[in-house]
Amino acid sequence: MNRTAKIFTLISLIWLAGCENSLVVKGNFPAPMIDKLPHTLGVYYEPEFSEYIYKEKSEDRSMWTITAGPAQVDVLSKVLPKMFTSVIPVNTLPSPENPSQAELIFSPRIDEFQYALPRETKVNVFEIWIKYNMRIYNAAGQLLADWLMTAYGKTPTAFMTSKEEAVNEAAVMALRDMGATLSLRLPEVPEIKAWLVDHKPNPLSDPNAPLTQDPDAPPASASLSKALTGTHSEEGL
Amino acid sequence: MKGKNLLYCSALVLMAALSACTSVTIDEYRQGTSHIVAGDSVVLLGRRHSSDYETEPDLVNCIGKIISAGDSGVNVVGEREFTDQLYPWFEPRTAPMSMKRLDQIAERKEFANVLENYKISYIIWIDGNTETTSSSGSIGCSIGAGGAGCFGFGTWDKESDYEATIWDYKNRKTLGTISADAKGTSYMPAIVIPIPLIARVQANACKGMAAQLHSFLKPNAGINAPGPQ
Repeated sequence: MNRTAKIFTLISLIWLAGCENSLVVKGNFPAPMIDKLPHTLGVYYEPEFSEYIYKEKSEDRSMWTITAGPAQVDVLSKVLPKMFTSVIPVNTLPSPENPSQAELIFSPRIDEFQYALPRETKVNVFEIWIKYNMRIYNAAGQLLADWLMTAYGKTPTAFMTSKEEAVNEAAVMALRDMGATLSLRLPEVPEIKAWLVDHKPNPLSDPNAPLTQDPDAPPASASLSKALTGTHSEEGL
Repeated sequence: MKGKNLLYCSALVLMAALSACTSVTIDEYRQGTSHIVAGDSVVLLGRRHSSDYETEPDLVNCIGKIISAGDSGVNVVGEREFTDQLYPWFEPRTAPMSMKRLDQIAERKEFANVLENYKISYIIWIDGNTETTSSSGSIGCSIGAGGAGCFGFGTWDKESDYEATIWDYKNRKTLGTISADAKGTSYMPAIVIPIPLIARVQANACKGMAAQLHSFLKPNAGINAPGPQ
């Protein structure tokens, strides 16, 4: 191979490498400052969610591969324990034959994942948009809510040094947005709101509430039993 | 050799003379007087709710660095640190847009405690961005066996438009607004090598905004920052 051919091959390889971008989303996600719902939540992550990888299929666009699964599990591991008094992982969705110990089961899914680059939109921001399907089941495995939630994150071009860094930051912002919306809006979802009204904890389950009954009397319910063993509960949002 | 040095010096002088200029206009609207005392802090936050632009984090950092510099500097709490501590209340889609909403959120004991621990007196919202408004010209570069070179001329205009809204957290009222508009044209002549003559539009908007903000918060103190160029 002569020198010109070698240079040409090298330039071609660099050019081809420039069309493929790979990114594993990484960021520090804070825990939210919210009130806990006095219920036990089971969390079930399907592998499609916990190992989610977005691969661009369009031939007209750069070949982006964005691994978002571990980062979104990371966000939820910070958010959910602040939303419920108890959070337990479950290996499978419950059924009437095999009910869960948790009162509610949370199993999220990604319906759509999109990104936009400044070159495509002519706006000086990198954008990530994720459409989630937040599915909530009761202990018997009956679907209570099928909440479609969108998360959005963007970051300006001037701030970042590389495209990967900018897309990562936009993805981190989208995941923070998901955590914020989930923590503040979940109790407002009509089906969940109705369930929470139907499953209001016994006021006696609050250890700080003044006891009006004889403390030596046998517990009247499971929640009273929890109260006597010191389970803490707070009002929802 | 002497002739060559003279040529380099002339080129440098020419570049300095041709360096792109920026004009900055600052406006202030004051609704009350600031009472910042030793130990009090402020936090600068960028507004990020708009879909077609985003207040640049580096602009917010730049203003924060300038107003916190020197003996007369103001304590500034970092934007990311503050939003992390108060997550999810200051995210782009959840941040309070009015003092009334802030008042509602501040009813939460944990929220109020964080602001009290930081000794926050003022929350300053920075809204706006810098964008390229027009560009023209072209530069062509070529590479050959004898070497490489560029030839042509390019020019582009940039505009910054920022507004700072100062919220008095302790008294729950808007204290005033400061706006900074900056414009500048950058040039890039290329004769063998491209020579960028960049107008530092955003940097000058930052300096102008920071100087005015500092005098707003501490009317009787100077600031250790150069003025707009």
